[in-house]
Amino acid sequence: MDKVLSLDDAIERLVPDGVAVLAVGGMHLHNNPMALVREMVRQDRHVARLLTSPCGALNADLLVAAGLVGEIETSYVGFEHLGLAPAFRRAVEAGVVRVLECDEAYITHGLTAGAGGLPFVALPEGLEAADVWKANAESYRLVTDPFTGKQVLAGAPLIPDVALLHAAAADAAGNAVIAGAHFVDRAMALAAKTVIVQVERVVPTEEISRHAVGTTIPGFLVHGVVEAPGGCHPTASHGHYGADEEHLRRYLSMAATAEGAISYLEEFVRGVNERDYLLALRRPAGDRSGQ
Amino acid sequence: MNTSGAASPPEWTTAELMAVELARLLRNDDVAVMGTASALPQVACGLARATHAPDLWFVAGGTCGVNPHLAPTVASCCDEDLLRSDTVLPLGDVVLLEGRGDVFTVFFAGGLQIDSHGNCNLVAVGDRERPALRGPGTVGLPFLSRVGRVLIYSMSHTRRTFVERVDFLGGPGFLDGPESWATAGLTGGGPAAVVTPLCTMDFDPTSLRMRLRSVHPGVEVEQVVAATGFELVMPDVVVQTQGPRSEELAVVRRLDPSGVLKGR
Repeated sequence: MDKVLSLDDAIERLVPDGVAVLAVGGMHLHNNPMALVREMVRQDRHVARLLTSPCGALNADLLVAAGLVGEIETSYVGFEHLGLAPAFRRAVEAGVVRVLECDEAYITHGLTAGAGGLPFVALPEGLEAADVWKANAESYRLVTDPFTGKQVLAGAPLIPDVALLHAAAADAAGNAVIAGAHFVDRAMALAAKTVIVQVERVVPTEEISRHAVGTTIPGFLVHGVVEAPGGCHPTASHGHYGADEEHLRRYLSMAATAEGAISYLEEFVRGVNERDYLLALRRPAGDRSGQ
Repeated sequence: MNTSGAASPPEWTTAELMAVELARLLRNDDVAVMGTASALPQVACGLARATHAPDLWFVAGGTCGVNPHLAPTVASCCDEDLLRSDTVLPLGDVVLLEGRGDVFTVFFAGGLQIDSHGNCNLVAVGDRERPALRGPGTVGLPFLSRVGRVLIYSMSHTRRTFVERVDFLGGPGFLDGPESWATAGLTGGGPAAVVTPLCTMDFDPTSLRMRLRSVHPGVEVEQVVAATGFELVMPDVVVQTQGPRSEELAVVRRLDPSGVLKGR
């Protein structure tokens, strides 16, 4: 079955407006599925709850900047060494977006619970010493360990309705190869009900089969494949190009105000399609593949 | 103070001194783990391996490279350059091992707020639901309760960063002090040291409060006191931090030729 879709078809057909739980892959400024995220903005797709990897970045901040996010389940949204996430910060400080406070252990193990049909996941002793669980009763509960009788933390399974992910390559059946670090992208693919993968290249199955051991997302879990070369920009695409820090700094500077964020979205997202965006912006200097 | 082979102040930056100071806190049998924006502890670990701790292991969370080769050092913990390592673990495996609790002996930590008992906060200043400053989030800091020694570092040493009590406890230190620490019965050893641009601190074993250990070259004790938002425990003698030796500095610059540390 051919799952290759155009970018606009993939979002239009597979992501309902107001999607209950949307997961965005990638971690920090790496492997963010930005082509899919930008198309969410172009189509004004609202997200009731956004779920990030242990460290969300532009993938989350852009959706928040566009006013599309109701609440966000995360353990970090920021731009690492470049600074805080401007839209996320503004929205949370204003009380516009609610944060379901998480930690890295819960996001990672919660996705495993979602993938495996575990009713909940028990978390390591000691994590209860932090305030995180007290701030998020929807995701965490203190329960009695049936084996020891001790009070331990349990986390609800994380089951995204839709996961937006990036991979280096996929075939038309959706078998996808992630280059470089996997972060929790595989776990998101295993846990989500619908998976859309953007890739640098769509390749024949024979090519995927030659790397079968590294073919990290099986096609039977994937519903849409979108060929989006350069689609992680301005974040990095492992195996292909590094992060475009100059553009990221431009985003941070524009998105520092609500008005600036709107201008950014108009200039770089809503007002342009992916092809024109990349033609205008992609800097060969940041390219590690020699393309 | 033995100053043989010491480079003089203009020859090094504060971040380079901090990397050297963190390296000195590492032991040959350590297995260290670090996360977001951790170029500084990565260089410290690389330096320790090249000098007094050749058998130390370190894991750069994010990509989860094990003993990343650095040279160059990169700013992001998720940069694919960190996959140039002795070996690489999936992130999920590192999270499992952090939970196991008896594998990692050192966890590097930091925060928007760090308090008198070494608790860290990366979540929010003020009320979490309507914060004066929303930080990024707590990532792996709750695991501080489970590791051997927590080494805290901060590029900012001000009264806003060093506060009496964190507004949100994301990374457990000695909690509210000796009583709550004893009651909690955590398996980790708690915070061991704090390195800032001004000084190196440790913790008073009785009160479990932060204690000044040494001031960096050119820094006065009064400066540290004025920049700290709580009463620091003072040792009988405050010594001066030994500046980087030229061999240490040479290793730091070999590991970080593009000066990622200097840019901070």
